[in-house]
Amino acid sequence: MLLGTLIYGFINSCILALLALGFNLTFGISGVANFAYGAIYIFSGFLTWITMNSIGLPYLLSVFISILCAALIGLLIYYIVILRVKGLALSEVMATFGLGIAIMELFRYFDFVGFKYTLPVFFDGSIGFGEVYVDYQRLFIALIAVALTLFLYFFTRHSKIGLAFRAIAQDERTALTFGIDSDRIGALSMAFGAALAAIAAIVILPLGTIAVEGGYEVLINALAVCIVGGLGSTVGILVASVLIGYAQTFTANYLEPHWMMLVSLIAIAVVLTIKPSGLFSRQKELEERI
Amino acid sequence: MLSVNNLMVFFENALALNDFSMEVKEGQIVGVIGSNSAGKTTLMNTLSGLIIDMRIKEKRKGGERITVYGEVLFRGEDISETRPNERVKKGIVLCRERHPVFPESSVYENLKIAGYLRKKSQVREMILQVFDLFPALVDLKSRKAGFLSGGEQQMLAIAMALVAGPKLLLLDEPLLGLSPMMQNLFVDCIKSLRNESGITVLLSEQFARPVLPIIDYGYVLENGMLTLTGTGQDLMDNPEIKAAYFGV
Repeated sequence: MLLGTLIYGFINSCILALLALGFNLTFGISGVANFAYGAIYIFSGFLTWITMNSIGLPYLLSVFISILCAALIGLLIYYIVILRVKGLALSEVMATFGLGIAIMELFRYFDFVGFKYTLPVFFDGSIGFGEVYVDYQRLFIALIAVALTLFLYFFTRHSKIGLAFRAIAQDERTALTFGIDSDRIGALSMAFGAALAAIAAIVILPLGTIAVEGGYEVLINALAVCIVGGLGSTVGILVASVLIGYAQTFTANYLEPHWMMLVSLIAIAVVLTIKPSGLFSRQKELEERI
Repeated sequence: MLSVNNLMVFFENALALNDFSMEVKEGQIVGVIGSNSAGKTTLMNTLSGLIIDMRIKEKRKGGERITVYGEVLFRGEDISETRPNERVKKGIVLCRERHPVFPESSVYENLKIAGYLRKKSQVREMILQVFDLFPALVDLKSRKAGFLSGGEQQMLAIAMALVAGPKLLLLDEPLLGLSPMMQNLFVDCIKSLRNESGITVLLSEQFARPVLPIIDYGYVLENGMLTLTGTGQDLMDNPEIKAAYFGV
């Protein structure tokens, strides 16, 4: 029982980290809290399903198209909506949240409801760790989460766009003096965040069905991880994912599974009450002080 | 190389620069001298194009209305409405005031970021060159820029501007917050930049004493207005400058 909880807790942590990575990336670089994040997640899931089942494209091509479309939607949202209200945090949140609701509820309106909306797993089968059996898809999720985190670490430190990301995140005006266009980089960060949401959707959704409600849940989980970890802090995100991931799994196994969602909500409430800047925001506090 | 004609900059209704004109010739070191809030930084932001970005961003959020009149010519071309990244491509690079470095990045990463618009091989070469100019940076290469001292940060800031490949280097108060010894070091460095690399330098400063000896031509700003111009020697001999900046 305990071994199972530990293993599934780890996988749950990986799922949360995967969900939060994109949201955190966009916020950390452009300062935009993309509340349409859950909608992009669900959109990618449905789009993959549609391209596979209605149009009949092969799985990998559908995946590729979905990730590309998600990135494109991120770009469009940035250039058409965000740029007009950039700098007004509340307007950014309201605009993206409104858009998110519109996208998700459109799927409901067009009757994308039911159990037939599922995505195929990458690998079928399972492996035993002692008495605990874990399916390959869950291991694959953990692998993707680790791989993406590593990829982002190296990408932001060794590629031109990645370095521009880090520059804009730290000091936009100084970055401008070296010819880095802050609007373009902001839009790219939004596209990257959206593409990460799509990747998360494609590997996580095969565990269940694609449902509109899932979008809201994803947004809450991503928010919980980012708030607990401290927005913009990648280390914070990883630690918060482990904390909330294990808390959720222990709650599900030792209390009641339907209390799982409460964990994220309570975590948000507690952290916002005690330490609103999050657990790993030492640097930010230092900045605020000076 | 650079001519500024009848430049006027308003922040809402406040006039930050009033009918300002100046000329910078290729290979010169030109100084803009003025006290706090004289309009030096506004001038630098206007020349580097940052003010265009500020204007757009303020307008988006319904903030301060920034208006710029007059013309800025760079090598005969009107660049008044050119975005900052385009100006960097043309070779106009600004080093902002108060040691603008990226505090969370290492010294080496800061230099790599500064070379954003250049080819990788060029950046690598330039980094070696600035390490020659500021040997102190070599040992600090993997330290986070936020943990450097003020003087080291200023070295890094100038090194970064150099990696960006300036033809006209704008230095906004490069001596601010530095010890007199450090100030002398930077003044020498600015001189050698012009003499050895042929970079034209326009610097703004409130410390007139260390700067006046090295400038070819100087402009004195007061409350956004040009009050005096002349060669470095002219300005040093001027009784008003002596009274206001040297305290004699």
